[in-house]
Amino acid sequence: MIYAYAFVAIAACVAIERFHNRKAKIAIALALAAFLAVGPRFYGNEAVFSILADAAVYVMLALGLNIVVGFAGLLDLGYAAFFAIGAYTYGMLASPQFGLHLPFWALLFLAAALAALFGALLGAPTLRLHGDYLAIVTLGFGEIVPQIFQNLTKYTGGPNGIAALDVPTFFGHSFGASVMPYYYIALVGIALALWISRNLRESRLGRSWMAIREDELAAKHAGIDVLRAKLAAFAIGASFSGIGGVLFAAKLALVSPDLFGFQVSVLIVSMLVLGGMGNIVGVVVGSLLLTIVNSALLPQINSLVDASFHTTLDLSNIHFLIYGAILVGIMLFRPEGLLPNRERRAELHHAGEAEAEA
Amino acid sequence: MHEFLAQLANGVELGAIYALIALGYTLVYGILELINFAHGDVYTFGSFTALVVLVALRAANLLHGAGLILGIVAALVVAILACALLNAGIERLAYRRLRKAPRLAPLITAIGVSFMLENLIELWQGAAPVPFPNVIPNPELEIGALQVGVQQIVVVALAIATMIALHFFVKRSRLGKAMRAVAQDRDASSLVGIDVDRTIAITFLIAGALAGVAGFVGGVSFGSAWFLNGFGAGLRAFTAAVLGGIGNIAGAMLGGFLIGLLESFSTWFIGGQWSNVAVFSVLILVLVFRPSGLLGESLPEKV
Amino acid sequence: MSLLELAGVSKRFGALTAVSNVTLDVEEGAIFGIIGPNGAGKSTLFNLLTAIYRFDEGSISIGGTSIAGLTTQRIARLGVARTFQNLRLFGNASALANVMVGEHLLLHANIIDSLLDTARERRERAEAERRARELLRFVGIAGVDEHFARNLSYGTQRRLEIARALAARPRLLLLDEPAAGLNPSEKQDLLALIRAIRDTGATVLLIEHDMGLVMNLCERIAVLDYGEKIAEGTPSEIREHPRVIEAYLGAPT
Ligand SMILES: Nc1ncnc2c1ncn2[C@@H]1O[C@H](COP(=O)(O)OP(=O)(O)OP(=O)(O)O)[C@@H](O)[C@H]1O
Ligand SMILES: [Mg+2]
Repeated sequence: MIYAYAFVAIAACVAIERFHNRKAKIAIALALAAFLAVGPRFYGNEAVFSILADAAVYVMLALGLNIVVGFAGLLDLGYAAFFAIGAYTYGMLASPQFGLHLPFWALLFLAAALAALFGALLGAPTLRLHGDYLAIVTLGFGEIVPQIFQNLTKYTGGPNGIAALDVPTFFGHSFGASVMPYYYIALVGIALALWISRNLRESRLGRSWMAIREDELAAKHAGIDVLRAKLAAFAIGASFSGIGGVLFAAKLALVSPDLFGFQVSVLIVSMLVLGGMGNIVGVVVGSLLLTIVNSALLPQINSLVDASFHTTLDLSNIHFLIYGAILVGIMLFRPEGLLPNRERRAELHHAGEAEAEA
Repeated sequence: MHEFLAQLANGVELGAIYALIALGYTLVYGILELINFAHGDVYTFGSFTALVVLVALRAANLLHGAGLILGIVAALVVAILACALLNAGIERLAYRRLRKAPRLAPLITAIGVSFMLENLIELWQGAAPVPFPNVIPNPELEIGALQVGVQQIVVVALAIATMIALHFFVKRSRLGKAMRAVAQDRDASSLVGIDVDRTIAITFLIAGALAGVAGFVGGVSFGSAWFLNGFGAGLRAFTAAVLGGIGNIAGAMLGGFLIGLLESFSTWFIGGQWSNVAVFSVLILVLVFRPSGLLGESLPEKV
Repeated sequence: MSLLELAGVSKRFGALTAVSNVTLDVEEGAIFGIIGPNGAGKSTLFNLLTAIYRFDEGSISIGGTSIAGLTTQRIARLGVARTFQNLRLFGNASALANVMVGEHLLLHANIIDSLLDTARERRERAEAERRARELLRFVGIAGVDEHFARNLSYGTQRRLEIARALAARPRLLLLDEPAAGLNPSEKQDLLALIRAIRDTGATVLLIEHDMGLVMNLCERIAVLDYGEKIAEGTPSEIREHPRVIEAYLGAPT
């Protein structure tokens, strides 16, 4: 069942990518949106939409990270930190923890703003670093943030985190136990994230990022304020993650520091790598594929094998083997990802040619 | 005072282990400009191979008298060989094809390899820490006000002996000279007849061997091995390499000891749960204020 | 009035003095040549002008503003644009996008405009695109707009880089060996192009090894050797200058 939705979504994405006609692209996108919006009335159950809602949150995260890594070319290995900041914003301000019960909708904006602020703050000292060094420092940030949440037990509930978070309401109607509201909010979130990503890519700021990614020195000579453009990338990318964090926390009704470790950051990087860094549609496909593999396919294979062979195989044990193999396999055999954008394909193709000449 | 000296000894012991791992990062970075993210996991693999050998020997009841010494040597040698081969194998299969690829590709590949290794080690040895056979007796010695365990002395001595051997190898031997040449300028080295591929492979072998020593020593020192040990230790060791000036061998040793001391003293003063924060804050500060590290030198970009 | 003034400028790399006590005045609207043997310090001089390196001694002012301590991007705002001896294009982007990046300082869309694709953003983008196409035509490579920079031929890449520099409407244009690697007919086109650029009002500072081109184009020429300015004058003065002949032909025996 879940595969039907995932398949339609991915097929539509591929079609959008392959068609050249603008009108056709828009038509497919609208049809997909309509399908995802009304589909649940006819087909599917809570379990399916729970997974799809999670998948949608990951799509948002991946689109946010794509701005930092794909557009601006800054490898950020600590992106989960902003996810944590978003989630804890909701956890601390809409729970019994401090007796504060701020509304979910306001916290979406607050979390976006806070994550953006931290994105800029954490980004500021690292902006002069390049390539691998930047990656390692962001990784360091990614390790520090959950650890701080874990250690400040008085405010954050320590290792156990904060439970019994508020159930959001919509004009007085509680979301209750249903996952559907989260599914719809996440869909709207993706639509917004897609729209913003597209705007940015075509914009003055987007061209500045391209220039920085391609040749920072030449970018400076064009008068681009490189530090500001990088800060903007970190801040905007982080804000997507902040919103994702609120959704995630509210749906789970729980936050704890172990949900935001390095693995999460690498998972999101894997989504970009799998789909095709820099390409908006590719990123969507990559994140859908990985979440579905993770939360639907592996558990199912698991129970299938167990049932037929009377074993207690646990495939969730090999998640990391699978991500690792995806990263290595894609880098070695299809470094541009499944749906690359023109630019990346050219870059990698060129590298291949240089190798052939050498 | 007592406590201070004890922490100092701990820090030096930890530092010796980090220094050994850091050397592996620095050697590889020096020659390929690649952060071999999987290096920490090679270290973990070393701990487990040594552990498996020792457990097997103990089960065969061979670990006493002269057999004990031989057993320890055997475990160390097996760990060294296994890690050297593993590391060189990773280079051959995963990194070699990517030498000319855009910068981020090999790093992402290395992260992928790291995840795979961690998962494979977990499948092999389980998710819980495994106790490391207690093969080196550990009476406390009193030297003035300083109390140190025999184990600590063995660990530090072994690490330092390895580093001295490495130093002479790199400075004096033909292969060491070839390594330095390739690190400086790969194209020019191949023009003067150095086999670049082979030199890089040997660098990975040596880096792996160092991780093997570190794995053994770390197992002895921590008293256990765990499939995720390499992640944290690897990051600390990498920080050490950057602190000392990446690509710089003496820098990696200095950085290793400094990070070890930082960890042990920060644990003492502000608690172990903050040690990550302390170590990474140092990493960030170093990179921001002295990106070339303590002993590294910076060159302006040529335009 | 002089647009660019250097007084006693020096730059050292360790023991090597790459630029040594150079004093120079470039008139507004001139085509000014800088020549000298390989390693004379010509490119280093450009790198000092755009703050890739900081000079150790002396002073440099552009349009009356001292550039000491200014960053590269601040200097770009003073109206300085350049090309590089080893091309530095945005290889994985279209020729059009390369030129549009060059227009960065002419645009005013801020981050909000970029996020929301406001009317200002769209209007500016349309204008920038139109101007970029025009510039590609102006430098003589119309039709490559959508091609990736790295797939273009060498000569085309050189012109594309000039177009990118021109896109900022610079007062001072620095060209570092624009004729290197071009064939004779391409060189003729380049000569005409540089004249046309000057006629739009820009001042051109030109590093070039091709003597024919330099002598033909430049009103004044300065000669560097081992970082020092050994001569300056009109093309015919330079041709006759004993120290220049010596530097190029080696010491007389
Ligand atoms: N970043 C640097 N570090 C050290 N030395 C440098 C650096 N940049 C340039 N040099 C040296 O400064 C001297 C002048 O170099 P520069 O590139 O300015 O020469 P040039 O006149 O442009 O020569 P060419 O005609 O070959 O382009 C050379 O000896 C060069 O090696
Ligand atoms: Mg030059």
